[in-house]
Parts: sequence; C-alpha cells; structure tokens
Amino acid sequence: MKKFAALLLALVLLVTLSSCSKPDDKQAMLKIGIIQFAEHGSLDNCRQGFIEGLAEAGYVEGQNVTFNVQNAQADIAIASQIASTLVDVEKCDMICAIATPAAQAAYNYAQDKKIPVIYTAITDPIGASLANADKTNPGEITGTSDLLAVEAQMKMIRALMPDAKTIGILHTTSETNNTMPLNLYKELAPTYGFEIVDKGIAAGADIPLALDALLPQVDCISNLTDNTVVSYLSVVLEKAKAAGKPVFGSEIEQVKLGCVAAEGIEYLELGRQTGRMAAKVLKGEATAAKIPFETIANSYLYINKDAMATYGIQLPADLADRAIDVLAK
Amino acid sequence: MILGILEQGLIYGILALGLLITYRILDFPDLTVDSSFPLGAAVSAVLTLQGMPPALTLLCGMLSGAVAGLITGFIHVKCKVRDLLSGIITMTALYSINLRIAGKANVPIFGTDTLFRSEFTRALPAWIGDYSTVILILLITLAAKLLLDLFLKTKAGYLLRAAGDNASVVTTLSKDQGSVKIVGLMIANALVALAGAVMCQQQRFFDISMGTGTMVIGLASVIIGTNLFKNFSFMKSTTMAIIGSILYKGCVSLAISLGMEATDMKLITAVLFLLILVAGQAKRKKVRIHA
Repeated sequence: MKKFAALLLALVLLVTLSSCSKPDDKQAMLKIGIIQFAEHGSLDNCRQGFIEGLAEAGYVEGQNVTFNVQNAQADIAIASQIASTLVDVEKCDMICAIATPAAQAAYNYAQDKKIPVIYTAITDPIGASLANADKTNPGEITGTSDLLAVEAQMKMIRALMPDAKTIGILHTTSETNNTMPLNLYKELAPTYGFEIVDKGIAAGADIPLALDALLPQVDCISNLTDNTVVSYLSVVLEKAKAAGKPVFGSEIEQVKLGCVAAEGIEYLELGRQTGRMAAKVLKGEATAAKIPFETIANSYLYINKDAMATYGIQLPADLADRAIDVLAK
Repeated sequence: MILGILEQGLIYGILALGLLITYRILDFPDLTVDSSFPLGAAVSAVLTLQGMPPALTLLCGMLSGAVAGLITGFIHVKCKVRDLLSGIITMTALYSINLRIAGKANVPIFGTDTLFRSEFTRALPAWIGDYSTVILILLITLAAKLLLDLFLKTKAGYLLRAAGDNASVVTTLSKDQGSVKIVGLMIANALVALAGAVMCQQQRFFDISMGTGTMVIGLASVIIGTNLFKNFSFMKSTTMAIIGSILYKGCVSLAISLGMEATDMKLITAVLFLLILVAGQAKRKKVRIHA
C-alpha cells in the first residue's frame, strides 16, 4: 500500500508541477480550447484556418489568446473527457469543436456553464441537434457546416461525362457526415439524368470487395468526405482505373492524389470563417446563441489533367476558366 | 477534473462489473461487449426520443444486452463454437443491428430530457446541481454492484463461480454447465449495455463508434482493480473492479491534462497502466517476504 500511496503522490506532484509551468498571471489572456475529433487533412486545415481567422480579427496566439489544442483520436470517450477537462479544469473562455462528436461532447459540458462553443466541419448541425430545425441555435453554440457542394458536383460530372447514366458512391455506414450528402445525391440525381448506386461498408478492409461489386454497375465513382474511403483512396483509384471508370473527389486533396475532378470546399477558408465568427463572440458583438450557423457558399472546381487524359475526358470551355489545375506548380 | 473522472469512471465501472463476470469468473474472453455497449446506448437513445422516461430506457437497454449475451452463449454452448469466435460473431452482427435500431450512426438527444437533466434535477438547489449527475451515476453503479453481490451469494451465483473455477463441480451437482455459462454471459452483457445506456444519457448522444475499445477499457479496469487490491480480503472483487475503472479513467485524464501530444496519448496511458500494475506487484512481493 505504501508503494501505491507513493505512486499516487508522484502522480499528484506531476499534475501540480505541470499546472505550475503554465503562466497564470496573465489575466488578459483569453483561453480557447480546441477539440479536434480526429487527425486528418481537412480537419487539420479547419483548425489552422480557425486560428488564422481569429488572428485576422486581432486575437493572436501568445498575445491575447492561448490555445489548448486536444485531439480525441476518433475516440468518443476521450472526446468526452477532453471536453470535461477544457470546461471544468481549464475553464476555457470558449471551446472550438471540430467535427460532430467533438461538438456534441463539448456542448454537453459547456451548455450549463454558458461557455460558448464554436463548431466547424459539421455536415448537418440540425441532424446533430446542435442547431434547431428553424436554423436558430439551442444555446451558446454556433459555427460552420461543411456540407458538400453536391449539386455543383453533379453539374460538373454531367459536363465532363455527357453520356454517363449511373454514379457509384461508396460510404462507411458508421460515418454520420455521409447521410445528408448521400440523400442530396439521391434527391438531385433525376434532375441531372443520373441514377445513384451506393454501397455501404463497415470498415476499410471491405473496400476492395465493395468496389468489385460496384464498378461494373456504374459509369463513374463520386466520393463523399468519408474518412475511411478517403484513407483507402489509392485502392479505389487503382481498382477504378483497371475497370476504366473515372473517380470524382470531394475536395482538393483527393484530386491531387488522382481523382479526375472535384467541386470542393476549402477547409482552410471554412476554418477562417469560423474564426471570424468566434472573434465576434469574443469581442462581445453578438452572443454565440444569436449568430446563425453558416455554410460555405462557394465551391471550387479542382481538376487533375493527368487523370483526365487517362480517361480521355475533355474539359468543356465554359468550365475551363474556373478550373484549378492541381498539378500546376 | 475529479468530477469528470468520477462520472466516467463510475459509468465504466458498471462495464467493469460485466467484464468481471466474463473474464474473472467465467474465464470467457467475451468480445460481444464492444457491441453490446453501443447496443444499450442505441436502445436508450431511441426510446428516449420516443418519449419513454429515461430511467425505463436503461432497463430496456439492459434487456437488449442480456439478449446479446444470450446469443453469444447460445452460439458457444449449443452450436459449439469457440468462446472467442462466438463473441466475435455476435459483435459483428450487432454492428448492423445497432445501426438498424438507431437508424443512423449518430443519434443526439440534446433536445429532450435525459436521466441527468429532467424536471427533478432542475428543481435541485444550485449547490447540489453540479453534483447531481455524479450522484445519480454513483447510485446506479452501487445498485448494480449490490445486486451483483447479492446474486453471487445465491445458489445460482455459486454455480456461476464454479463454472469458471472448476467446471466439474457444476456437473457433479447435476447442473448443466452450458446454461450456467449462458446465464453468466446474459448478466455480463446486460451490465455492459446498462453502462452504454448510462453513458448515452450522460453524453447525450449515441454514436456507432462509441463501443470501439470497450473490451480493453473494461479488462484494464478489472485487472488494475483486482491486482492493486489483491490482499484486501475484506474488499469485494466488484468494488475492486469499480475502483479500477476510476483509476483507469484517472490515468487517461492525467495524460490529457499533462498536455500530451494526441499521437502519444495511448502510449502514456499504457505506461501509466503498467506503472499501476507494477506497483500492485511490488506490494504483493513485500507481503510474501513478510510472510
């Protein structure tokens, strides 16, 4: 028992030491806690953009704000513990939550303490109960949604592949961010003369088999921002290439890796927009509850000329002026 | 911080009670728990949204867990599939079932009253308000523990312990060892699903991925608890499991507040886990020398 007590004592000491090392004397410093649900390109860009957006509005790290950045590594229980730490222990002045489960965990703890929560990279804030059905906020919480530009994407596919009839979509059944764009695809498909064939997978390991089943039924593949599918993009691209079917991405990184084209939103920009909203709250111009959540209106057309050449796809003149060649230096 | 650790630790303590039965008593590596935990949460979330009183949804969650345990037990005992495999089969199947029950991968219950946010908790005075969640969780965990303690003292409970320790005792008593195992799995998974349901009520959303790694957390809790307090003969193993769970969550919380890099979190948690195990062993050696 002595040893155990000694160990406990050591742990307690460690905690005290670590809290001593943090400067507590700077009263003017605002503390912003950032909970990022998982580590991946788009979410990292959101975080980066958020910090930049705040800096543009005068909240510069080290000068008048400190950031406490925590990553839950896609673990819900850890996200919950991080939220509880940021709210109850660190007593942050504001929480920025990146991706749905992080925002839900943050709001769960911050709601009663009236600490504003600013979220980003949430596809469907209403479906996640972070916004009311009439687009008002349920409490001191607001942010930005990263709903895909599904309609623009369909228009683009129609322009690039005038004869295509079916679009194949792979999606991981456990990822909530897929539900809304997938429904949008299905809803809008008849308008553009498409049929959607979707295949659900439970894990990355299912992707090759799902592709074998999907590819013969479709004229092309269009990706969602599905984390699992995006991680296995090389497998998707290789299989699709063997079958002679082009793959369309959902954001710039996928096009860089070999997708033909994408109508994507810029996550860095989304983050900056979120940062500017946060600055409004910090300045006291409006409370989080009063600022409606925002979506990004503009999408960018990213193209990969090498991939287009592989499939003999021509870029129509009316798209050429806004197309961004991701391979161009 | 302490409050957060206690909340999480006590909820996962219920889970540890379940694993205590399968791992410690039945010696059955039951992987069903990775899915029965979110199963309880899904049932609780969906029923709460349909207007059922949250406390009742916990019971329904428990029942669903018992059914999951029944299926694993049936596959193992009646279809003669190896223990590890039968758990894996149920776990895999439940993934789809959980999605079917919930309807989607993430079901928030922010909009409705939950177990921890109701007319009753809002009516409490402010000074108790902050603690109402942890007190309610403590009550649920204690109730689960006491009921389990009572059960283990009954004849059926004795048979359960015998089934793991010395199977022939059960047969000698002309009882079917298989059905004893099934009952054990049902109780264990009912407890795990109860933990999932309570977790869902506390965090106010269900997510299909919330079960990932449940088995590891539960096992770690049971092992930490039973190793540290091995020589405390007055302490029941159920108590040890719950304290183990609180210590485990404490380790995680410590790793977070020390500002660990996200990439190193699991490593730090593992090291702290190891430290506790070693501390437990050092104590045991000392006792042996004294004896």
